[in-house]
Amino acid sequence: MDDPPPVTTDEFRRLCEFLYRRTGMVFKEDKRYYVERRIRERIRATGSTSFTSYFARLRSDFRGEAEKLVNAFTVNETFFYREDHQLRCLTTDLLAKRIAAKPRGDPLLIWSVPCATGEEPYSIAIWLLEHWPEVDAYDVEIVGSDIDTQVLEVAREGIFGKRALIRLSPELIAKYFVPIDENSWRIIPELRQSVRFSSANLMDTAEMRAHGRFDVIFCRNVLIYFDESSRRIAAENLYENLVPGGYICLGHTESMSRISPLFEVCRFSDAIVYQRPLEGP
Amino acid sequence: MDKRILIIDDASLVRLYYRDALQRAGYSVDEAMNGLEALEKLLVTPADLLLVDINMPKMDGLTFLKSLRRQPMPLAATPAIVVSTEAAPQDVEAARRAGGNFYLVKPLTQDTLTRYVGLCCGIKS
Repeated sequence: MDDPPPVTTDEFRRLCEFLYRRTGMVFKEDKRYYVERRIRERIRATGSTSFTSYFARLRSDFRGEAEKLVNAFTVNETFFYREDHQLRCLTTDLLAKRIAAKPRGDPLLIWSVPCATGEEPYSIAIWLLEHWPEVDAYDVEIVGSDIDTQVLEVAREGIFGKRALIRLSPELIAKYFVPIDENSWRIIPELRQSVRFSSANLMDTAEMRAHGRFDVIFCRNVLIYFDESSRRIAAENLYENLVPGGYICLGHTESMSRISPLFEVCRFSDAIVYQRPLEGP
Repeated sequence: MDKRILIIDDASLVRLYYRDALQRAGYSVDEAMNGLEALEKLLVTPADLLLVDINMPKMDGLTFLKSLRRQPMPLAATPAIVVSTEAAPQDVEAARRAGGNFYLVKPLTQDTLTRYVGLCCGIKS
């Protein structure tokens, strides 16, 4: 099939507007190449003859096209033990504070959102097994969620390439993975069972509420894609997903103080995290 | 050493944590997610020692132990360590009445676990 014709500035804006309304992600002129490449990919994949016919298909959500487009736009590259200083902070400070008010045997909920292909929630599970002496004394539930339903399937499968494992020692790889071939490994079944995956859209208040409340949320490197007002909505949703006293970890370049006044800043030796105050609005 | 330990706990992270310690210490390990699954497994393959959590769905640890002790010999005599976060004297007594031989309170370090498992296996042999 011929290549679809170039996308005009007006078409580019209409698509960005659609993405923004749907996900809160903002793409400006400087991301035009990135956006255009994905639009053309979807035009080709759907066999549409023009942007107009593709856009009609998208707006009517024909054969789930809206979800497919969103999947094409999410950035999913990550690796195990990324920003491990936050994982250290989790086991040295955050969990100690959380369990101070909890009897042993109680549930302890950790949410990785967005979790992409699962590296982060599985990293949390491995880190707890390796570094948290209370791991058998609490009913730890780790949930991984993402807006991209395709990556969730990959996460559930638990198959990873060399690049994803680059930060793990050979001992950890041998302990928690089974080699499939030269370049891929599958996470062992018990670890797969220890993480539950579900879809979540940070902008969808009703859907976010349905996920319940967590002791600790990892929400790293996603709010940077949002504009100010979407960021605030996402932050308010996340606030409601924390138990009072619960913590949220953002990416190291992100700051909640610039987004929302709801949270308190907590400086620990390994990371800066944000807390939903025990008593608050 | 060819001792076979069955870990009965609904939390997969806990099973993984205990299994890692025991396998490194040379035991062969099997796992069950609740008392019912444990009984089914034991009817097929006996174990030398059981690690039994109390709070589990489908069949909790105490019900499991009572049911185990009513099975034919030698299955009924399989030694069991109850491993629980509950540490009050009445919990220990309830576990003993249900048929638990030993009682350990979580959290356990991997060293503590293998030390007690070693002691219990020694007692049996």
